[in-house]
Amino acid sequence: MTTLETTPSTTGSEQTRLRDISDAEFTGAYGCDRFTAAVILNRLRYAVEHMSTGFMREAFSPIIRDWYDFACTISGPPRHNYPMAVVSNSLVVFLGTLGDAVRNTVEEFGPENLSPGDVLICNDPYRGGTHVNDVCFIRPVFVDGEIVSFVNMRAHQLDMGGTVPGGFSATKSNVYENGLVIPPMLLWSRDEPVRSTFSLIFDNTRWGGMLLPDFKSIYQQLALGERLVLENIERYGLDAYLGTLTYACDTSAERMRDAIALVPDGEYTGSALIDADGLDDSIDYTVQVTLRKQGQDIEVDLSGTSAQARTCINCGVLDAKTAVGVALTMLLDPEVPFTSGTWRNIDLATPPGTLVSSLPPDGGIMMFWEASGAVVSAVFDALNPALGEKGVAGDYGSTNTHNASGVTADGTPWTSATQCGGEHGPWGATKEGDGDSYTVLFFLNNLDPATETIEHDSPVVMLRKEHAIDTGGPGTFRGGAANLKDTLWLSEGNHYLSPFRTKVPSGVGANGGEPGPNGAIWIFPPRDGADDRPAMLGTTPDVYATSTPVAGVLDPVTKALDPVDGEYHYFASRQVWQTKTGSILRCLTNGGGGWGDPFARDPERVLADVRNEYVSVAGAARDYGVVVIGDPRSDPEGLRIDVQATAALRNQPS
Amino acid sequence: MTEEHDTPPTPVLERIPVHGDCPRCGAEELRRYPVVSEGGWFEVVKCQQCLLSLDRSPWSRLGPIQLLTDLL
Repeated sequence: MTTLETTPSTTGSEQTRLRDISDAEFTGAYGCDRFTAAVILNRLRYAVEHMSTGFMREAFSPIIRDWYDFACTISGPPRHNYPMAVVSNSLVVFLGTLGDAVRNTVEEFGPENLSPGDVLICNDPYRGGTHVNDVCFIRPVFVDGEIVSFVNMRAHQLDMGGTVPGGFSATKSNVYENGLVIPPMLLWSRDEPVRSTFSLIFDNTRWGGMLLPDFKSIYQQLALGERLVLENIERYGLDAYLGTLTYACDTSAERMRDAIALVPDGEYTGSALIDADGLDDSIDYTVQVTLRKQGQDIEVDLSGTSAQARTCINCGVLDAKTAVGVALTMLLDPEVPFTSGTWRNIDLATPPGTLVSSLPPDGGIMMFWEASGAVVSAVFDALNPALGEKGVAGDYGSTNTHNASGVTADGTPWTSATQCGGEHGPWGATKEGDGDSYTVLFFLNNLDPATETIEHDSPVVMLRKEHAIDTGGPGTFRGGAANLKDTLWLSEGNHYLSPFRTKVPSGVGANGGEPGPNGAIWIFPPRDGADDRPAMLGTTPDVYATSTPVAGVLDPVTKALDPVDGEYHYFASRQVWQTKTGSILRCLTNGGGGWGDPFARDPERVLADVRNEYVSVAGAARDYGVVVIGDPRSDPEGLRIDVQATAALRNQPS
Repeated sequence: MTEEHDTPPTPVLERIPVHGDCPRCGAEELRRYPVVSEGGWFEVVKCQQCLLSLDRSPWSRLGPIQLLTDLL
């Protein structure tokens, strides 16, 4: 089996396009005709989705069940260098790193040491990317005694030990505090569970009772994936199967190469800022990107990026690589299938020991997506000026992750992870339209936990989860609105809060659009002597005076947002935010960036935004030059545009 | 501000000069350095002008990270 592609720029000649090769050449290269390759590829995509559906149906852990915090892939054999050819429609940071994770895990364990029925695991961020909670499960597929493929799953485990229950905290200093690191090990051997491996995990993690059934389900999904792969090989032959894996990666490579070629040759620089790590706020962290583009190739250089952080806000180089692949896919051609081939014409050159290429043991990795998300932002910052109308505005930048635990009055322990902070928020706008308002970061792709399950599992009441007004970056197409979330805690709790990007807007504008404003986090303690439940909090600036600010750039007196003259509040000034029963936590995310000149936005769209309370009457005039008459609350259907006043406002010299 | 610290210097990727001209663009700017791409880590000899890779050899599996157990 071979490939028609070559590695980046090893030749100066044009590569043959897949559509231009003859049928005979296609069959010679890929072991089957085009139609058969398409059929096999779709059947394999069905296989990973079937595995995913099965796991979703059976999972006990809320982060699997409610967040879809897992992914499935199919990789090729060692003799083809483990090409990741098929991915599920799920968590992109997992997909981006799984190709390398499978290769590194199997190579270290030794493919010659694997047998049919084995399940190999590894959770080391430096070997496979992401963080220790994300365990890779890898099952070899054998034909006639030879490994021909791997079916794989990476799934977030709710706890992997370490100093913080649930793990989501910026405060852990090194890999030893961070959690249990599992090197390549067998979890099942010839379809028999390896008790010593299970003991290693369950003796070092919390809530093993929840993990155990999920592990059993993962084992069954991998066995299902193996069966489906073998069915394809039996029906179409091994050459056709392996050729299809190669074809899938070549297709990605060709589309990405075409997309890169559309960028003008040159050198582009960009950056993104993370406020601080979990030790103190004396150092902020910059991700610096230089993209050098020539012809069909791009080299992404991360030199100039800050040294690795002193606490676990770093990511590994495989996460940085994923971020680069995601950013270029989104900016240049969102239709490129996400496989190993995505990176064929992309080289990532990075010094070791940076925030996004950290080294053990001190460069701890937990909040990895925050650092690699800054890589996405920096690539957008670099390329947007060159892309003009193809530019994409920035998203909310940080999941502002909330992690809390405690014991209720009756002695029941509880944990809430990634449910009650600012985990979900907006995207930026594009040339196609307004940014979405309640989703996850560009490269995550998760679900949103249902309020009913959050309130069932933890002593909390979700008071408010809504779009905040005037928070989408103005533009011809508006950025998505920030999310405002209020939660009332019915028990004392220990909270870890991780908003990392409140100093500089993450929702940068594109093509002349404006950035979305930054958010913040506040805790409202219960009123002294109050024996009733707190009332709903308002959203006007006067409500914040009684709060305890956690994060954000705020007015020193009113504690309301003040991005110009306010003072920065450091999210880990208390490593643990301890709250009393009756406290309310408010998280406001950053807003998405706008695309295009705001004064070119169709006035009717501004009117609709006022009607739907994305934009206030004052904001319509200030940000869009559209004068709206009426009250959206008392008479929403009576709103109308003052055409003359709007024309006068829009024609004012700037 | 909780405490003053010196900001640590930013790490730099060493690009080692390699003697010779680029066969594609003629530039005398060949450098050797590691990159990560499709297929993992490679040590490349690459033209800094036109990005032509004159050589791409597989590098250490985990890049700059060395495992003590690799010494077993």
